[in-house]
Amino acid sequence: MRIVAIDTATAASSVCLGEDRGIKAMASRVDRRGHVPFLVPALEFCFAQAGWKRSDIDAVVVDVGPGLFTGIRAGLATAQGIAAAAGVPIVPVNALDVLALRASTGRREIWPIVDARRGQIATAPYRPLPGGVVREGPVQLMKPDEFQAHLAARQSDALVVGDYQALGEHVLHDTRHVKFGRPRYPTADLGMELAVSTLESGEVPLADDVRPLYLREADVAINWTDFRSEGLA
Amino acid sequence: MAEPVILGIETSCDETGLAVVVGGQIRSNVVGSQVEIHARFGGVVPEVAARAHVESIKSLAHRALAEAEVHPDDVTAVAATQGPGLAGSLVVGYSFGKAMAWTLGADFVGVDHMEGHLLAPMFQHEGYEPPAVVLLASGGHSQIVHMPAWGTYNLMGGTIDDAAGEAFDKLGRYLGLGFPGGPAIDQLSSEGDRAAVQFPRALPDSPFDFSFSGLKTSVVNWVRKSRDSGEDVPVADVAASVQEAIVDVLVAKTFNAVDETGSRTVAGGGGVLANRRLRDRMAEEAAKRNVQLALPSPDLCTDNGAMIALAGQLALQWGRPSVWTGDIDAGKRLGHDH
Ligand SMILES: [Zn+2]
Repeated sequence: MRIVAIDTATAASSVCLGEDRGIKAMASRVDRRGHVPFLVPALEFCFAQAGWKRSDIDAVVVDVGPGLFTGIRAGLATAQGIAAAAGVPIVPVNALDVLALRASTGRREIWPIVDARRGQIATAPYRPLPGGVVREGPVQLMKPDEFQAHLAARQSDALVVGDYQALGEHVLHDTRHVKFGRPRYPTADLGMELAVSTLESGEVPLADDVRPLYLREADVAINWTDFRSEGLA
Repeated sequence: MAEPVILGIETSCDETGLAVVVGGQIRSNVVGSQVEIHARFGGVVPEVAARAHVESIKSLAHRALAEAEVHPDDVTAVAATQGPGLAGSLVVGYSFGKAMAWTLGADFVGVDHMEGHLLAPMFQHEGYEPPAVVLLASGGHSQIVHMPAWGTYNLMGGTIDDAAGEAFDKLGRYLGLGFPGGPAIDQLSSEGDRAAVQFPRALPDSPFDFSFSGLKTSVVNWVRKSRDSGEDVPVADVAASVQEAIVDVLVAKTFNAVDETGSRTVAGGGGVLANRRLRDRMAEEAAKRNVQLALPSPDLCTDNGAMIALAGQLALQWGRPSVWTGDIDAGKRLGHDH
């Protein structure tokens, strides 16, 4: 099975081609505004590296967040375009699941982080298991101070991975029982690793059911200030 | 050579438009309108629009291809709106289109939304050709463009404040007609007296520019005075008079440009050009001067994928290369490509 994986949910963009649980080609770049011009040239590069034809694609894996809304949509729309052309399924992966997967630790609780903007981070707790991790709580948005208090209250040793710079200096320095580690960003190779078992089980979702994971309602403030009056409405 | 088969994708604002154009003829033109979603908020909310696009684009693409009876492998090029528009919305259609074209081994071309409107009259008007003057008016843009030759666009004038459609929408909202205000005012105006109130026709010094802020203020003042005197506000008369004021200005400026350039053709595009009074008045003025009027039908005046497909086809014919490295350009200006 030949899989194309895409991850543009954070400031990092990556594309990976995989086959038989091995990586055939990969390209990546960090540029929070550069998702759109990166993706297709990266695919072109990877296909040339792997010697694949475009008609070889069997499935597309895409990170649907949480993360940067526009990056997530650039990745998902790209996956949808490939899927529409090739008639293949789309497998969504969660950015926090992807980050936790490679956070190798023997016993610490894992807290992957993505920057959710507006002074918030998205995170969830994971427990390491032999050969993987398991999510042990809901994905939620928190302010850095809330996150710090949350970890302090739990008293257990934690490993924080992902974009922990978004927490700010004081949280990084003043949090006990906590280690900070890699990976910094979710990447397509890890997403592919996560999605392989879904694909092998054949339980892929319908393409129309694959949606971004926003965690936040759309901001609906409309600027009517230049015409504020009682009106007849 | 086989006829070009173009999939056109339009996601610059709140319509998800997908269309198939074969040899310059529309085979399918589907629009996933978000009007009902945005009506709840009284206007287009950019983040809401972007979310709706990504949820519907894939199934709309399948529908456009199925209705056209075209297999994806037969698509020779995909054209998607590159700008101007809402960045979050543009990203969806542009990314989808580029990836689809690449996977199919088809060409890809990013299209200027305004160029789509400028070329749309070609579908229904065989004699539409330069030199022409084109009025582009919608909720997001209001411009008068002189097209001396195919692919050459000179911006002659435009709004100095609100777009014409924005003025319609805001005044419609003020008059309690909901969103979008343009179609509601058009509808209600047929029951009103357009000469009831003489609202000001803002005509700044430039013969081709317009402004609608004075009109808004004047409507607010008029309604307030009328209500303070204890009378019922004649909403239909006000709507008809507002419409007449906006239409007067648009028509006057457009035909100033026709006279100035000596163009023998006048055309239009954008949602405001679906307004019946504006269409009638443009027809009258065109007939007076014996110039050709090339207005698309209302469904091709509002945003749609067919005009993007056509503009993409012509761009490729005119020698624009298919490239994979492009990005959206939310602030794109007509005639400036990169
Ligand atoms: Zn438009």
